Amino acid sequence: MNQPPPSVRSDAPLLEMHSIAKHFGGVMAVAGVSLHLAAGEALAIVGDNGAGKSTLIKVLTGVHELDEGEIRMEGRLVSITNKRQSRQLGIEAVYQDLGLVDSLDAAGNVFLGHELKRRVLGLNFLDNDRMAREAARVLREEVGIELEDIHVATHHLSGGERQAVAIARAIYATDLKILVMDEPTAALGPEETRNTLALMQNLKSQGIALIVISHNLDHVFRVADRVMVMRAGRAVATLDRRSATKQDVLAYIVDAVDTEAA
Amino acid sequence: MIMALCLVMAFADLRFFRVQNLMIILQDASIFLVLAMGMTLVITGRGIDLSVGSVAALSAVIMAMLIKDVGFNVFVAMAVAILVGVACGSVNGFVVTKLRVPDLIATLSTDLVFRGLALVLAAGMVLARFPDPLTWIGRGRIFDLLPVAAVIGVIAIAVGYVLYRYTPLGRYAVAIGGNTEAALLTGIDVHRHKIYQYMLLGGLAGLAGILLTGRLNAIQATAGMGLTLHTIAAVVVGGTSLFGGRGSMTGTLVGVLLLSMVVNALVMLRLDFFWQQVAAGLIIITSVAFYAALQDPSTGGLSGLLRRARSGRS
Ligand SMILES: Nc1ncnc2c1ncn2[C@@H]1O[C@H](COP(=O)(O)OP(=O)(O)OP(=O)(O)O)[C@@H](O)[C@H]1O
Ligand SMILES: [Mg+2]
Repeated sequence: MNQPPPSVRSDAPLLEMHSIAKHFGGVMAVAGVSLHLAAGEALAIVGDNGAGKSTLIKVLTGVHELDEGEIRMEGRLVSITNKRQSRQLGIEAVYQDLGLVDSLDAAGNVFLGHELKRRVLGLNFLDNDRMAREAARVLREEVGIELEDIHVATHHLSGGERQAVAIARAIYATDLKILVMDEPTAALGPEETRNTLALMQNLKSQGIALIVISHNLDHVFRVADRVMVMRAGRAVATLDRRSATKQDVLAYIVDAVDTEAA
Repeated sequence: MIMALCLVMAFADLRFFRVQNLMIILQDASIFLVLAMGMTLVITGRGIDLSVGSVAALSAVIMAMLIKDVGFNVFVAMAVAILVGVACGSVNGFVVTKLRVPDLIATLSTDLVFRGLALVLAAGMVLARFPDPLTWIGRGRIFDLLPVAAVIGVIAIAVGYVLYRYTPLGRYAVAIGGNTEAALLTGIDVHRHKIYQYMLLGGLAGLAGILLTGRLNAIQATAGMGLTLHTIAAVVVGGTSLFGGRGSMTGTLVGVLLLSMVVNALVMLRLDFFWQQVAAGLIIITSVAFYAALQDPSTGGLSGLLRRARSGRS
């Protein structure tokens, strides 16, 4: 119980995770992983099925509480025990099921919980028109996608469009600092994959940091600055994209490299 | 479906279309309009309230006793009826959220509780003959034509439309019913909003109790037994999804009118009362099944069908 006081360093990276461990019963899903991330940087996490990638980021997004280790944001020790806390720190996750309300339109989702209001006869009413305009603007200017019909329920949008709406919500509703994406391109067609990769570049250029889990090394090499390889709950290597090749990464994933030496 | 019904009735009995009969239909529909407005919000929020009939009876019995036995001013007594309804609604909301009893079981049980309280209070008596303001609300006509109760019902639906589209109450009902997890995550106080939904419906059930008492100029503890199912049926016939997340206030208006017309038509056709019950039940099942098919996710629901119809694909 004698933790060091939360010291603040001005040169600290946006995010530091130190010796994170998480187990489920007897399964050591994550066994002491450390990583760091700067604003505007993209870190890819790769590894075989069951390597612990999702578990690691779920510790960050507040889905799972960590067993051991510590998380610092801008040098300050933070405690993340639920999703709400994670969100308040500016960390947002876009999962496969995206957490959208299907029957609401894009604006309804982007502004959910933060609706714009208009006073009529002294009463507050939802300003649906302004929210629709504003949502369309965020989608166009910051996410880079134009919806054919802004009023259609998100249920009817394509996978890529739904992802864009989820990201627009993350940008708008919170002071987004870190966007976590688990398999963002897995369910998308070629055209939408291109859009999503472009969108990720766009977010980086706005100073938003990305953590991306993907099995697709082509996509990883298109957006990531660094690639962290996980195997059996451990980070076996972190490679710089500029100096490493896909073969190098693959070798670590399939355990062709002596991990003790790495 | 309304058109089909009109067609059938045109052949069967033209009296159906007399203004007087249409006004009777409106009069019958009024209580359901009031209840269905609140029920639409509750069902959209993935809840259900099986206690509205009993809440209406309990509120009405308390109001009647205050007027007859205690000598309360009729307006004060009516206000009390609505407050009793709101209180019952907040009990429902509390049981559903804080005690985590599933909506169906919770309100099935509170239905017994509220009905039981009404029975205890009234002790088998029928309370009758109330002051004019109450009967005017229940059975009065504006210009000898338009039922006052129907005006109240339509206003209720109009208010419901605004609540659904233009206030957080409606918006969060959609969010909670559609994706509770997402609603929680954006910081919406899900419990508070569910309680609000049930309180609103409770208050409307109190109002329904007033209308019921005024219409009959009498009330007893067993009143309003069939109200609940009929209300839920009307809401679902109107296109609100029983699985939550999708509702329609205009649909509810249509659903209530449709069911009231059906019941009225059955009466006009002099169907034996018991057969009326059978027919009403079958019609409800048919309509609900029809909408269930429309809302089948594989077809994208009603709007999905319309979209595809419009874009020329099938
Ligand atoms: N909620 C849980 N309860 C129990 N065990 C879990 C749970 N979540 C993950 N695990 C286990 O932890 C290990 C790591 O799982 P995780 O989902 O993090 O892997 P992953 O790297 O994301 O794999 P994939 O590429 O298949 O998504 C696996 O052995 C998995 O079975
Ligand atoms: Mg995973």
